[in-house]
Amino acid sequence: MLLTEYEGKCLLRDAGVSVSDGFLARSADAVTRRKLAYPVAVKAQVTAGGRGKAGGVIRAATPAGARSAARRILAMRIGDEQPAAVLIEPWLTIKRELYLSVTVDPAAQGYVVLYAPRGGIDIERGKPPVRYDVGPARNFRAYRLREIVRDVEPDASLREKVIALARRLIELASTRDCVTVEINPLAQIEDGSLIAADAKIVRDEYAAFRAPDIAASIASAIKAQSRPIARALAGDLMLVWLAGEVGLISGGAGMTMASMDLIGDAGGKPACFLDCSNNPTPDGYRLAFELLDQAPTVKVILVSIFGGLTQMDRVARVMKDIMRERRSHKPVVFRLNGTNAKLVEDIFAGTGLHNHATLESAVAEAVAITRKRGRR
Amino acid sequence: MSVLIDQRTRFVIQGITGNVGRFSARDMQEYGTTVVGGVSVNPREREVAGIPVFPNARDACAATGADASVVYVPASTALDHVVEAFEAGIKLVVYPGDGLPVRDAIEMRAAANANGATLIGPNTPGLISPGKAKAGFMPSFCYTPGPLGVISRSGSLSYEACFRLTSAGLGQTTVLGIGGDPIKGVAPAEALALLHADPETRAIVYLGEIGGNDEYAVASYASTPGAKPVAALIVGRQAPKGKKMGHAAALIGSHADTHPAKMKALSHAGVHATGTITELVAAVRAALQARP
Repeated sequence: MLLTEYEGKCLLRDAGVSVSDGFLARSADAVTRRKLAYPVAVKAQVTAGGRGKAGGVIRAATPAGARSAARRILAMRIGDEQPAAVLIEPWLTIKRELYLSVTVDPAAQGYVVLYAPRGGIDIERGKPPVRYDVGPARNFRAYRLREIVRDVEPDASLREKVIALARRLIELASTRDCVTVEINPLAQIEDGSLIAADAKIVRDEYAAFRAPDIAASIASAIKAQSRPIARALAGDLMLVWLAGEVGLISGGAGMTMASMDLIGDAGGKPACFLDCSNNPTPDGYRLAFELLDQAPTVKVILVSIFGGLTQMDRVARVMKDIMRERRSHKPVVFRLNGTNAKLVEDIFAGTGLHNHATLESAVAEAVAITRKRGRR
Repeated sequence: MSVLIDQRTRFVIQGITGNVGRFSARDMQEYGTTVVGGVSVNPREREVAGIPVFPNARDACAATGADASVVYVPASTALDHVVEAFEAGIKLVVYPGDGLPVRDAIEMRAAANANGATLIGPNTPGLISPGKAKAGFMPSFCYTPGPLGVISRSGSLSYEACFRLTSAGLGQTTVLGIGGDPIKGVAPAEALALLHADPETRAIVYLGEIGGNDEYAVASYASTPGAKPVAALIVGRQAPKGKKMGHAAALIGSHADTHPAKMKALSHAGVHATGTITELVAAVRAALQARP
C-alpha cells in the first residue's frame, strides 16, 4: 500500500535519511496555532500522483497565507482523493532536484536502484534514470553503483552522498517490507547536503503478519473504504466495483478477468471483479452474495469458478444452501468446473439450479437477463 | 520428454499433515506421481496415505532419495521451509502458496540460485507433465499428453485453458504455472528456455494478463530466429486502470501494462495472440500449423 508523504518521511527519518521538520495539520486552524519560521510549504497529503501539477503544494510567506493555502488544499480533489491533511514544512531553497529510488523489479530478481541527476515533477519527460540491479539487499555494492552513477553524475562529492543514501534505502526497503521507496525530488540545498523533499513509499501488504504498522495501515485503509468494499476485504474477498450490471462471483484472478472479458464481448458489462479464491468457504460465498444482492446496479449474478484446490462438490452444496436461504430474487447463473465438478449435476438435481457446461453459454444467459430486465 | 518432472521424479511433500498437504498427497499419488515422503515439523502421524512422514527435509531425503518437493505451509514460514528443502539437496521445489512477502520471494529465488536448484512459485498451482507426474493441485482431468508446452501466470485460467485444449485433442508436454507475483522462481524467459529445449514440445502456449512485463519476454522469445511457434491468450481487457486485479502484478500502471500494448507487441513478434478465451483453441491450432 502506498503511504502518504508524511507517513513515508517518518519511515525515512527512522532509516537515517534527512527530511524536513514538518507537522501534519487536519484543519486550517491547526496551521496557525503553531509558531513557524516562514516561508513554509503547505502540501496536500494524498497518495494520488501529479500532486504538484494539480496545485497541491503551495508556498506561504505569512500565517494568513498558510491558513488560506491549507483551506484551499483541504477542499481540493486530487485524482480520486480529497486530502485529509496538509503537511507544513519549512520552504526549502533548492540548488538542484535529483531523483533516487529503490524498487522491486523482476529483471533484477530483487531490488533495483534508480538514479537521475535531474528529478522533480517532470522526471518522466527527461532521460530515463540509470539503474543498478541489486537483487537481494545484501548484494548491494557501493562500487557497482558508483560505476553506474559516474556516467551521469560528474559531481564526485554528491555522488558519494547518493551512494550512501541508496544503501540506506535498500536496507529500509528490505527490513521494513517496502516494495518501493522513491525520493523525488531529492533536494540538494545550499550547503550541498541532500534532503528528501518528498517520499513515495509502497509497503508490502503481504508482510502485515510480521509488521504491525502495515497491519494497522491496512485496517485503517479498509475503514476508509465504502462499506461493501470494507466488508469484502474484511472477509478476505477481493472486490473492485465496475460500471456494469452483471455481478461476477469468481475464483482466481485470471479466470475472473477472462469472465469479465467474455461478458464485455457478449454485449454486457461486468458490475464488479469479485474474487473469492482466498476464502472459498460458506461464509465467503454468503458474503459475496450479500454484497451483490444489496448492490442496486447488479441485475444478475454470474458464478464462474474453475476450482483446483477448491472442490466443486463442496461449492455446489454451499450454493444450493445459499440459494435456498437468500431473499433476493436476482437471477443467478452458474458455471462451475474443476476438481470434483462431475458431482455438481447430482447435487443440483431437483433444485431447479442449472450448471452451464461452458463459460460462454453461462455468460450469454447472464447478459440476456440484463437485457430483458432493462426493457421492462 | 517433459520439462522438470516425469514419472521418475521422487517427491516429498512438506506440510503433508495439513489439509492441503493431505489432499494434494493423495491427488498426486492418484495421478501416478511418485510421492516418497512427507515432512511435518511436529509429526503426530507416522504416515499419511501410506506415505512416511519425517520431521525435516534432510531426514526425508536421506531415507527416500527424494529429488523434488512441494511445500504446503503458510506464507509466514514458507521461506524457511523452502530454504530447508534446498539445503537438504532438493533440486526442484514448488511453493504454490500466495500472499508471500516480496522480500521472502526474493530470498527464495536467491536460495534457489545459490543451490543450483529450481523454484516454481509463489502463487501457482504448480506444474504437471500430463500422463507422467503432477506437482501441485491442478484438476487432473484438464490435461492430456501432447505437443504443447504451456506457461501460465494464473492458476484458474490455466485450468480453463487446458480443459479447452484437452477437449479439442490438443495435449501438453508440460504445463508450468509461473505464478502471478512479480518475483518468480522461474521467470517467463526461463520457462520459455525450458520448453524451447524440450524436443517433444512443438509449440508454446502462453497464458498472460494485464500488468507487469512478462508478456514482453514472450514477444522477445518469439522474434528470435529458430523460436518455436507461440500462441498466447492475454486476459484483462475489461480491467480498469490503477486497480489491482487480484494478482499482485495484475495492475495497469503504465502504458506497457495495458492489454492493447501487450497484444501489439506479441502480434508484431509473430505470436498467435488472442484476447478472448473462446479463440484460444484456434490460435493454438494456427501455431501448431506454423513452420518453426
